[in-house]
Order: sequence, then C-alpha cells, then structure tokens
Amino acid sequence: MRVPSRLRASLPMEAERDAVAPRTANRIGSGLQRLGILLLAGLLFAIFSATSSDFSSQANIDNILIQISVLAVVSIGETVVMLLRGIDLSVGSVVLLSSVVMSALSVNHHVPLVLAIGAALILSLLIGCINGVLTAFIGIEPIIVTLATLMVVQGLDEVILSQNGSWIQVLDPFFTSLYVNQVLFLPVMAVITFVLYAVAAILMQNTPFGRNVYAVGGNARAARLAGINVMTVKMAAYAIAGLCAGIAGLLETAQVGTISQNIASGLEFSAVTAVLVGGLSLTGGAGSVLNTLIGATIFGMINNYLTLKDFSIYYKQAVSGFLILIAVILINVGRFGHMREER
Amino acid sequence: MTRSQVVTLLEDSVHSQSELAVPILEMKGMTKRFPGTLALDNVDMTVRRGEIHALVGQNGAGKSTLMKILAGDYTATAGSILIDGRPVAIQNTRDAHRLGIGIVYQELSLLPNLTVADNISLGRETVRGVVLDQRALRNRARDALARMGIAHIDVATRVGALALPERQLVEIAKVLSLQPRILILDEPTAPLTQADAERLFAILLNLKQHDIGIIYITHRFKEVLSLCDRGTVLRGGRVVSVFGAGEMTLDRLVEATLGQKSELFFRRNVQHDATRQEIAFAVRNLSVGDRVRDVSFSVHRGEIVGICGLLGAGQNELGRSLFGDRDDVSGAIDLGGRPVVLNSPRRARRHGIGFLSDSRREEGLFPDMRVDENVSIASLGRFLLARGLPFIRRRALRQRTRAMAQRTNIASPALVRPIRLLSGGNQQKALLARWLMLDANVLVFLEPTRGVDVGAKNEVYRQLEALAQEGKAIIVVSTDIPEILGISDRIFVMYEGTITAVMNRDEASEETIALAMQGAHVDESA
Repeated sequence: MRVPSRLRASLPMEAERDAVAPRTANRIGSGLQRLGILLLAGLLFAIFSATSSDFSSQANIDNILIQISVLAVVSIGETVVMLLRGIDLSVGSVVLLSSVVMSALSVNHHVPLVLAIGAALILSLLIGCINGVLTAFIGIEPIIVTLATLMVVQGLDEVILSQNGSWIQVLDPFFTSLYVNQVLFLPVMAVITFVLYAVAAILMQNTPFGRNVYAVGGNARAARLAGINVMTVKMAAYAIAGLCAGIAGLLETAQVGTISQNIASGLEFSAVTAVLVGGLSLTGGAGSVLNTLIGATIFGMINNYLTLKDFSIYYKQAVSGFLILIAVILINVGRFGHMREER
Repeated sequence: MTRSQVVTLLEDSVHSQSELAVPILEMKGMTKRFPGTLALDNVDMTVRRGEIHALVGQNGAGKSTLMKILAGDYTATAGSILIDGRPVAIQNTRDAHRLGIGIVYQELSLLPNLTVADNISLGRETVRGVVLDQRALRNRARDALARMGIAHIDVATRVGALALPERQLVEIAKVLSLQPRILILDEPTAPLTQADAERLFAILLNLKQHDIGIIYITHRFKEVLSLCDRGTVLRGGRVVSVFGAGEMTLDRLVEATLGQKSELFFRRNVQHDATRQEIAFAVRNLSVGDRVRDVSFSVHRGEIVGICGLLGAGQNELGRSLFGDRDDVSGAIDLGGRPVVLNSPRRARRHGIGFLSDSRREEGLFPDMRVDENVSIASLGRFLLARGLPFIRRRALRQRTRAMAQRTNIASPALVRPIRLLSGGNQQKALLARWLMLDANVLVFLEPTRGVDVGAKNEVYRQLEALAQEGKAIIVVSTDIPEILGISDRIFVMYEGTITAVMNRDEASEETIALAMQGAHVDESA
C-alpha cells in the first residue's frame, strides 16, 4: 500500500474527524498544508513583532489588514483560475479599470455612485468573460490571452485617465468611510475581505461549481467524461477573476483616494505569488481560497515589516522577493518529499 | 589459446557452471513498512540467469512495492539485495540503472510531446557539438524497434499521437535499448494485441539466451504457464509459494493467489430472458469515422451485451460513441423508444447513460480528490438545496455516497483518502460507484477489469449482474474472451468496424469467439 509520508500521520486523524464532525470534513492533505502555512505566518509574525516594536500594535495590524485587502480580493479570482491550471495576468489592469471607470463616472460625470459602481463591476465582469471565452471556448493559452487583455485594458485605463485629467480624486464619504471606519474592532475593508473569502469558500466547497473546478483542474479529460461542462467551468472562473478584480478596484479607490495610472501596477504578480505562497499546486486540482488568504497575509506582513524597518524602495522589492522565495521553499519541502516516494 | 582466453570466450557466450549457480538477483528478507501497513514482510525471491520468473499476486499483494524497491523508487525497511552474489545498495533510480535493472511500468512513463526517437534516447542523447544528433537518435530508435520486429511505428511521430498499444511497445523498446541485465515487466501485455504480445514473448525468450534475468508480473495466468520458467506468488506482503520449473498449473496459481480454491471464471447465475424485456436502446446504421461502419443493434433492459474484438476492430469507438465522446458519429440512436442526439458526455449523462473508460488514470480519476468526491462528482446536481439554489446538501450527499461505497465494497476509511492512493481494483470500484450513484439506465463499460486483481474482478462482475437484474441495459467492451463469455447474455464480435457475429451465451465458446475475432465466419466454424 502506497502512503506518501506527508499523509501518513494524518490518515487516522482525518478519518476520525470525518466520523465525529462530518461538517468540518476537510480536503485531505490541505489540512496539513494549511497548518504549515499558518505556522509560517505565525513564525513571521513572532519574528517581526520581536524585532520591531511597532509591528504588533493594534494600529499597525489594522494597517496590514487594510493594505492586503486589495491583493487578497484579487487573489480569490486568481486562485479559482489557477486551480484550473490557468492564470490571469490581466487582473491588475482590471483593478485600475474598475476604479478609473467608477471615479470618472461619479466624480467627473456626476453619475450616481451606485450606478458608477455597478458600471465598473459589470465592465470588470465583462473583461473576465472575454478572457473566459478566448481560453475556454477558443482554446488559446490563458497566459497569452490574459497578457493581451492586460495590454488592451491598460491602454483603455490610460485613455480614460488622460481624458479626465490624468488623475481623479475621489472624496465621496462612502469611500472615506470604507477606509476609516471599523466594524467589530476590524477595519471595514478587512470585514469586506473576510466576507468575500467566506462566500468564496462556500462557493468552492458547497456548490457543484466549486467541486467541478477541482475536478477540471485535476483531470480535464475525466471531468468531461463525468459529464461536467468543462468550458462553462473555465468560463465562469475567468468571469469570477474579473469580478474580483472589479471589487478590488473599488477597495483600491477607497485606499488611495486619488486614482492615477500606476496604483495597481504589478498586482497580477503579487496575486499569483499570494496564491503560490498559499501552497496551490501548479499541476492543478489542489489548493484552496483560504490558503490563499494566508498567503496574501504573509505577503502583506513582509511588505509592511520592510516599510517599518525603513528599507529603501529599491531594496524592499528584492528583500520581499527573497523572503517569499524562502516561504515557497519551506511550504513545498514537504510536498517534494512525498513526490519522491510516489514515483 | 591460453586457458584464460578460453574462459573469457566462454563468459561471453555461456557462463561457466559455477557462475550459473550464482543467481543474477537475490532478495533476502525484504520488508517494507508503511505506518499502519506492512507492505512486504520478509520476502525472499531469487531470479536465475536466463529465466523468466513470474511474480504473481492480487493487487496490494506487494508486487509493485517489491519492484519499486528494486527500481530505486522506494527504499526497503529491511532486507538485502544481491546481484551476482554481491550485496548492492539501491538508493535511487540511478543506482538501479547503473546495476543494469530495467523496468517497464504498468503506467507508461513516456513524454507525450516528444517523438518516439526522443523518448527512446531520453537522458542519453547523442550530440554533435552542442546540437542533438537527430539522425543518430532516429537510427537508435529505429534499431530498438526493429529488434522487436516492429516496423509500423514512425520514430518521428509524437508519442502523444500514438495509440495505447503502440505506446506500450515504444516503452518496452526504450527499456530494452538500455540493455538491462535484470528486466522487470509489469503487466506488459495488458494494452497489447495478441500479435504484439506474441512478438513480445518471442523477444523475451530470445533475451533468455543472453543470460538476462526477467521478472514478469501479470494477472494472466496463461501467460505465466506458457512463458515463465519459475514463479513466486505473493499474498498480503508475504511469499506464499515458489514454483519451480514444471510445477505450475492454472489451478495451483489460482489457489496460491486467492488463498483458496475457486472458480477461475465468473459465471452468471441468473439468465436474462430477452423475450419478456423491452428494448432499452437501439442503434441504427451507426458509423464512427472509419472505425465503425454501419452498425445496427438493440439492447434490452436487464441485458448484458458483451462486445469483443481485436484491438482496433472498432469496439472501443462504438462504446465511446454511445456516451457522446466521439464527434464523427452518424446514424440514429433510440433511447427508450425516443430518438436522442448524443453529442457530448454531458448530454449522454443527462439521458441516463453511464460510462467507464478503459484508461482509468487518464479518463476516470481525479487523482488528488478524495474517493468520496470522485464517486459523487457526476451526481452533484441531484443534491441541491432547491432548484436554482446551487448549494449541495452535504449530509444527503454523504449518506448516498457511503451507501454506494458500501454497495461496491469500498472500505469506508478509504472514502476520505485521495483516490490515487488506492489500488487499481478499488479505484475501479469507486468509478463504478460513480455511475451507480447517478442511477444510470444504460451503462457502457470499456475493459471494466483491466489492471484489476482477481478479487476486485469478481466484485465488478457481481455488480454488473446486480445492475442487469435491476433492469439496466449494459454494454461491456472487452478483449478478455473468458470475461465476455462469463458475463454476457449476448455477445457481439466486431471485426474491422462491423459486427460480424452475434451469439447467445449458450452457443458461444472461447473458440467460436476467437475465430470470429480473427474475421472467420462463425457458421463455417460451427
């Protein structure tokens, strides 16, 4: 009987848990993996708190939660897409599009806020759908498709911005309140993030769509032969990625207040990184949105710490990349161990 | 000529008497412990020079574990390995390679996007300067295939474009081109046609002459009897019998693997009475590309129809077309008296058709998903909170999944494990449970017992019988004649894309089926 080392210890525990509390039954393996990522997050928190007096202050923790919210929300969609062995590189440009469209409409054209937000979200969803159609139905490699949409949408962003004075300041109290207010001792933006993650977790665990995502990512051919509509699942995943980017654009608007060209640049890579730090398997079919949330948190803590420590912007990127590399290595050590046994 | 020269010469051709006595491979006290299971318990096995040694046992008996230790994939918990009487340490696959151990795995290890030539030379490419010497690679590959008597495979083809039997031949050619001293073959004939299998046997018999030790793993006892010199039988991680030359018989092998004497072939008890049953589905003038040509037949409720033929006779494509997996289909299909269009598996599923593929790993399993998730994946739509409310009623889903697992005898602790960790037999039972759960009315099974041990085989047969009794219409496509003979009410034999013979089970025999498969007219032979 082949039992990979990573799973051995967990077998009786998993079975027991399943028997005692069926509702909390978890994807096997990801439970252990999540524990590993949580430990890493905890370890980083401990080290950062010990070496920086400000790091663990209430104000700074709130700050981190607000800082990661945009990344975290974008990463939800990225997780779903990557579970399908795809990738969406256009999310950064869509984040900007959403905030540009929303602010241009509401600030410069005096469209009611609700309509402006609605338009931004619908437009983001539409971009996601275009990605979906091109990858799922026409069958072009997702990296090519989304790279192309990235450039197109980026151009669109610039056009709209240039027609609106190259930057737009959003002073609507709704957005200020998102940034300033608290609900139950948590910043509003953090609450929104958590709620979206809860929704995503339910979507992935408790709906046929979520199960089908794992199935298609695990074995697309077998999914088709199990009667799953593989194309629709892929299509929906990219649509979700677009919508998440749209919502993240609104959070970004609340955070920066002033929309300019480079507010979301490079966000697609941060999102992919957060997903990977969350331990998602690039070969598809394994990973979870909650792991991605932890991944985004790790990402956010590292960046925040480096800012607190006054690293110059030039060093910051290199050091943050280096720390993330270490995190990914640590997370994957266990997995490589069990792959060897399996061959 | 000096004495030493003579000895050298002798060594080149035939080994001296004393050296012959030293086995080429000895494994002593091999033990492999996984937490909770003892996969191998003090296993001894000896392979002599120039013999084909059968390694027999049910799935999970420890055959694969033992061979993986030899190949350097696993390290043994205890035990020693001697090659030519000298103890060796096999820590990784490179060690095994260096020691001349070559292994043909059941699951192919070829890279689909590389050509046949590239695959055969993978890891030992010939270079000219810094570029690959393509001509040398192609020649080597052509030689390797020619040595096996294979001329019909173009070495410049992408492996992914080859059919399964051809891939298997390439895999064998690849391993043979490494010129191993100890050759391990794990179920090599499973995907092969009879002609290819016989070609392989001839090659193996030829290799024997060159003092190679061959370990031959198979579930097909007839091959053991005709091909192998000696045999070791494993059961539950232990050696239960070692058969010497001339000691093996079918009964003894079956007895040793099962641990009890049993009927070799499954025979259905309950017969189906076609006259009283309604037609479940009918096919008229069905053609699938150029593989199936103008086929018409009908299947009754409660009936099992076995379709057999040589590999490539079209039975596979016929089966797939009934599940909407082919887009080059013409003709009409009536389901329960109403014409249906089956242009996608999803459509077929909605019409209550279930399907078991012949390549379990590529087309059936979601390897990292749990067994219960693998079982329930096709039925999720039936466990929603309400129409338009796409939330799964998890408790109900779990109960139904468990019931299906119980029905197919899957142990319930296994339900929460990733399905890739299960044996082939248990994986197949899980896939069967997937369609039981959907309560499909028509079931199309391709090679339902391929790569499955004797115990699980009987399990599958019993399920088929039970399903037929419930009134399902079942089509079993198989190249295993005894299997077809044992489970079918009616037998269709296909030859070159058409159904050339339809037999009732009472009038069919292994011989009549085999003849029809070769294209002989049945009435002539009868």
